Amino acid sequence: MNHRLDGADAPYWQGLEQGRLLLPRCAHCACWLWPAGHRCASCGGIGMVWEERPLRATLYSWTRTWHRFGFTESLDLPYVSVVAEVEDCGVRLMGRMDDVRNGAGPDNPRIGEALVGRIGETVVGDDRIPTIIWSRAA
Amino acid sequence: MTHPLYGTTAIAGVGLRQFKRGTAPLPERSLLVEAILDACAEAGLDPAEVDGFVSYGDDKNEPVRLMGDLGTRRLSYSAAVWGGGGGGIAGAFGVAAGAILSGQASAVIVFRALAEGASGRMSAAVMAHHLNDHLLAAGLVAPAQMCAIRAQRLFEHHGVDPRIVEDLVRASYHHGRANPEAVAYGEDFDIETLRTSRWIAEPFRLYDCSRENDGAGALLLVSAERTRDLAKPPVYLLGCAQGTEAGWGDLMENDADALYATGGFRPVARDLYAQTGLTPSDIDCVQLYENFDAQGVMSLIDHGFCTVENAAEVIRFDNLIAQGGKLPVNTAGGNLAQGFIHGIGLPIEAVRQLRGESSNPVSGARTCLLAGGPGAPTVSSAIFASQVL
Ligand SMILES: [Zn+2]
Repeated sequence: MNHRLDGADAPYWQGLEQGRLLLPRCAHCACWLWPAGHRCASCGGIGMVWEERPLRATLYSWTRTWHRFGFTESLDLPYVSVVAEVEDCGVRLMGRMDDVRNGAGPDNPRIGEALVGRIGETVVGDDRIPTIIWSRAA
Repeated sequence: MTHPLYGTTAIAGVGLRQFKRGTAPLPERSLLVEAILDACAEAGLDPAEVDGFVSYGDDKNEPVRLMGDLGTRRLSYSAAVWGGGGGGIAGAFGVAAGAILSGQASAVIVFRALAEGASGRMSAAVMAHHLNDHLLAAGLVAPAQMCAIRAQRLFEHHGVDPRIVEDLVRASYHHGRANPEAVAYGEDFDIETLRTSRWIAEPFRLYDCSRENDGAGALLLVSAERTRDLAKPPVYLLGCAQGTEAGWGDLMENDADALYATGGFRPVARDLYAQTGLTPSDIDCVQLYENFDAQGVMSLIDHGFCTVENAAEVIRFDNLIAQGGKLPVNTAGGNLAQGFIHGIGLPIEAVRQLRGESSNPVSGARTCLLAGGPGAPTVSSAIFASQVL
């Protein structure tokens, strides 16, 4: 496919392409390892297994971008970027979030609120990067 | 036992050339050569005698290319601190001192040069160092956004009043107003300018962000002994620490929860104070790298000048200014109001302040802490002094 298959996190990208969130755990002590690497420093074990997680998270932090930075041309301004802590594993992922301005409830995302995700994509140049897009849980 | 870095090397000369972004009258490398010549001239040292160079932040000027202009006879040491941001700036002095104390070099220039024509936008270069598909997919492509997300957590989750940054910004402009070299020289700054400036990435507006300049800065480091033969009173390096610890780094936002909304300086500050035997109360002034004002606040907290709880009591305009403040910060205006050449103006002001040459002199200042670029995966800090205490 592309350069996303070159790194230790290739299964993450392959998972998103297939509509699933896969995250790595140590094959020996089962602790979650993110960013994906090669060795678990907790137990010294080499090797990871990838497990599917539901697209549920809590909002860890966020920013709403209003300035047109290079590489963001495909995104309508303003847009919300988040750090989301995936349920039950503590792994934090960067992603985007549907804006909540002018919606029901508070106008800004709230740290700690529950999120649900879907898999979309972000166009950067000629590339289409699979992306988790979060929204406020009903 | 005294730490080997304590007072054993000193800055003997400084040079700074600064211009508005995109308006430098000389090529980047020529600006750097001019800054180095100025630093050597201050010290009364023949530039051909400089035998070492250290930089940081992916500077593009490989020292060997300076030899022709400087007349370098022997280049015996060239090195750079890893990291794409300004985190390595203070660490560069530790690297230079290490070269001198171990006999690998005797006169070392610490430098940074940046002109848009040659190096492009600094923010873009810093980000190119870090960019990956996780960031691109999230639309997170600039240092402002990465720092904004950390700031949002400091304000919203840890409960620090977002208005706290205003006093830091006001103090910076207050100092810049009196500094003929500053971008804000002679300007009356109204805090409404910040409050009404356009959003960049919430919670940052334009005036929360340091804006880049073209230019070059150079500082000449030699052994403390050698400064006796040189023209300027020495400004001693008392200590320097760099790096990070477990729970902070290039972790794709998975830093330890207790560290996430910091500048990343806790281990560095701890080591720096342990090395020198000094405490925050021994520091007479601070040159604080503020890529963004909230990160400046985090850095002050990390270095023990205040806590999350009492930050609003300490980070007050009256307290931050050279004229009577207990914690004078960025006495030349800092990155915000003096000018931003990847932070190299900050150690230069530290030297000038400790020589009594600052546009905003701090009465009786003997020590100055330099805090490097906050929020970078690896950071660094140093303490300078006008005498070995
Ligand atoms: Zn393990």
